[in-house]
Amino acid sequence: MAYELQYYPGATSVAENRRKHMSGKVEKLRDISDEDLTLVLGHRAPGSDYPSTHPPLAEMGEPEDSIRELVEATPGAKAGDRVRYVQFVDSMYNAPATPYFRSYNAAINFRGVDPGTLSGRQVVEARERDMEELAKFQIETEMTDPALAGLRGATVHGHSLRLPEDGVMFDMLERVRKEGDVIVMHKDQVGRPIDRKVSLGKPMSEEEAAKRTTIYRADNVAFRDDAEVIEWVHRVFDQRTIYGFKPEN
Amino acid sequence: MADDRQRKFAKQMEIKFTKEHGSNKMEGGEITDKNVTYYRLGVDQNPRKVEMKKAGQEISKKRGLVGYNPMMHCGGIPLGQRALTPSFLSGTDMMVEMDDLHYVNNAAMQQMWDDIRRTCVVGMDMAHETLEKRLGIEVTPETINHYLETLNHALPGGAVVQEHMVETHPALVDDCYVKIFTGDDELADEIDKQFLIDINKEFPAEQAEQLKAAIGKTSWQAAHIPTIVSRTTDGAQTTRWMAMQVGMSFISAYSMCAGEAAVADLSYAAKHAGVIQMGEMLPARRARGPNEPGGIPFGHMADMVQTSRVDPEDPAHIALEVVGAGCMLYDQIWLGSYMSGGVGFTQYATAAYCNNILDDNLYYNVDYINDKYDGAANKGIDNKVKANLDVVKDIATESTIYGIENYEKYPTTLEDHFGGSQRATSLSAAAGSAVSIATGNGNAGLSGWYLSMYLHKEALGRLGFFGYDLQDQCGATNVFSYQSDEGLALELRGPNYPNYAMNVGHQGGYAAITSGAHAGRGDAFAVNPLIKVCFADNLLPFDFTQPRKEFGRGALREFEPAGERSLIIPAK
Repeated sequence: MAYELQYYPGATSVAENRRKHMSGKVEKLRDISDEDLTLVLGHRAPGSDYPSTHPPLAEMGEPEDSIRELVEATPGAKAGDRVRYVQFVDSMYNAPATPYFRSYNAAINFRGVDPGTLSGRQVVEARERDMEELAKFQIETEMTDPALAGLRGATVHGHSLRLPEDGVMFDMLERVRKEGDVIVMHKDQVGRPIDRKVSLGKPMSEEEAAKRTTIYRADNVAFRDDAEVIEWVHRVFDQRTIYGFKPEN
Repeated sequence: MADDRQRKFAKQMEIKFTKEHGSNKMEGGEITDKNVTYYRLGVDQNPRKVEMKKAGQEISKKRGLVGYNPMMHCGGIPLGQRALTPSFLSGTDMMVEMDDLHYVNNAAMQQMWDDIRRTCVVGMDMAHETLEKRLGIEVTPETINHYLETLNHALPGGAVVQEHMVETHPALVDDCYVKIFTGDDELADEIDKQFLIDINKEFPAEQAEQLKAAIGKTSWQAAHIPTIVSRTTDGAQTTRWMAMQVGMSFISAYSMCAGEAAVADLSYAAKHAGVIQMGEMLPARRARGPNEPGGIPFGHMADMVQTSRVDPEDPAHIALEVVGAGCMLYDQIWLGSYMSGGVGFTQYATAAYCNNILDDNLYYNVDYINDKYDGAANKGIDNKVKANLDVVKDIATESTIYGIENYEKYPTTLEDHFGGSQRATSLSAAAGSAVSIATGNGNAGLSGWYLSMYLHKEALGRLGFFGYDLQDQCGATNVFSYQSDEGLALELRGPNYPNYAMNVGHQGGYAAITSGAHAGRGDAFAVNPLIKVCFADNLLPFDFTQPRKEFGRGALREFEPAGERSLIIPAK
């Protein structure tokens, strides 16, 4: 019988959502065009070529090397793209993703990515077109609620702040706003105004966000109620501690 | 446990987040609300920011070069897009502006560090042996008193022995002095009271007995060189300045020959053989001499803070005051300078000693421990619970989940600790200190710290900045490591410990855990009785019995520091 990846312990909806994020088997909820994605990322003008830092690998006459034969370069690396970033901020009020599960999703399901995980933000650096592939995936799927998550290159503390009345996560730079029943972005990741507004689609209802979230909360799925997760945290703790004390155990 | 307890942060959160401060319009609502209106009032909503803005404009005009301008923030979007709120020093009713908790803006914080950096403890016994056995000079309580009178003239910069010398102005160095202490009651009785740190008077009887037993018949000088000297030079200067003046004072007080070889022995004893530094020197890559903050072991920090002698029955309070002192020195001044510059580290550190959030978590833990482990969180030795992994897991898990749930049930506390590093420090300091108080074992407490980090990360899917994920995921492995350089007792670890050197937001917590272990047992000191006694002295400008209150006095501009230069600069 083939081994089936288990990804994460736990018997709750939060644990199940964590497994989904890690496996990459998440539901697609919306579309964002390549042009819109380029606009909000803010790294280059829509339609322009990808700036490169070196010629395409095929033209570089690289020496023979067994690792090169084993590991195929990503499209961005093949083309010589520069390294660029996408940075997400997820509200602690039931945003679907959390920084760690964005990172796990990136590291498990995408190649050539360098995820960085902090409390308020999660950044992925990669060759530009590879980064865009990941950004598009995470924006278009249930990993992102446009009201409770955002693309933010700076000022990320909205993740822990109370929500404004319209339910759109506080953003010091006001990159997004709710217009009618959709969320629009009118500045890029670092807060520079963009040429036109980009619609990110409808926000999730409170109920839907609570259903899809990967954060434990006492007012939704409490961490203390997921005994299996706590048991596994204890197991990791025991083993790391005992290994340092007496490795042969 | 039932969840009906009154939260210790409730009043602070209500005043911060439901009452107007300045003109921030924070009027109304509940501290449990999840929604709020953001008015985006900028810096003009806050009195201190207005003062700073005006000062920036005046400075720019005066010097013809632009300076502080809050509109330079984020491309023209100033601070204050959410409400700028004041904070309370935990354990006090002192409400202060957050800006005033940056050490640049707070004279008490500066003085706490000055008082540590300019201090050393110097043994007297080697010098006395040199005098008596080598030179045949009689040493008596009378000669010791005479020597101390001489040294209190010389240590601030008064000349002895040599003629036609320059001297420092006494009014600039009035914070400089030396006192003596000993475990020998008979000798103490003979010492002029102005020179004596009286262990029997300063400490509860039980602690005094412990200290005197540890110190024995030896006698020690608590020397504090002038703040202005230390501030102008560095911590390594402290023993050099002290040793020079000690040597000269011995020559003068005992009528020695200034050139005789025994003087070298006195100097060597004062500079090296008989001296206790507050901090060890640092390796070249961090490039600081002794008595700089990166070299101060957590056990020393626990001993400098004096809450244990004025409130010995409350181990949690003792640990919390050490948190305040440790976070201020290790995070705001040390890591905030050698590792990074600027202003960010104040936000990390103040979370641990403002607004009673950590206090609430730790006192909850005390109740939990006392209920479950028969009073193990009370001061005592026989009541401690055995330190093992099951106990660590039980206490640290309950503590961490309680703290996390507070952030969820009281969104204003989450907004107050808006950064994950702040939350991680608070949660782990509570868990670690609770375990150490219950077990009397600092390394068990440290173990609780690391488990708290794991739980926090899994519960919220996030932790702190990169450093928390790096060091706090590997930390459990070195708590009880069989390799001595990794598994060192927490008392002897410090900011320069291998994987702590970039540990922003941790070291005040580590010092508190150290302190909690000993406060829980009712120990008079954590690691060094000499340092504990040296700082049991109300002549020091900074009151080490209540660091958090002192920071509040500094923020309210009520604290009177030492080492000021107004005597020698034009009057304004």
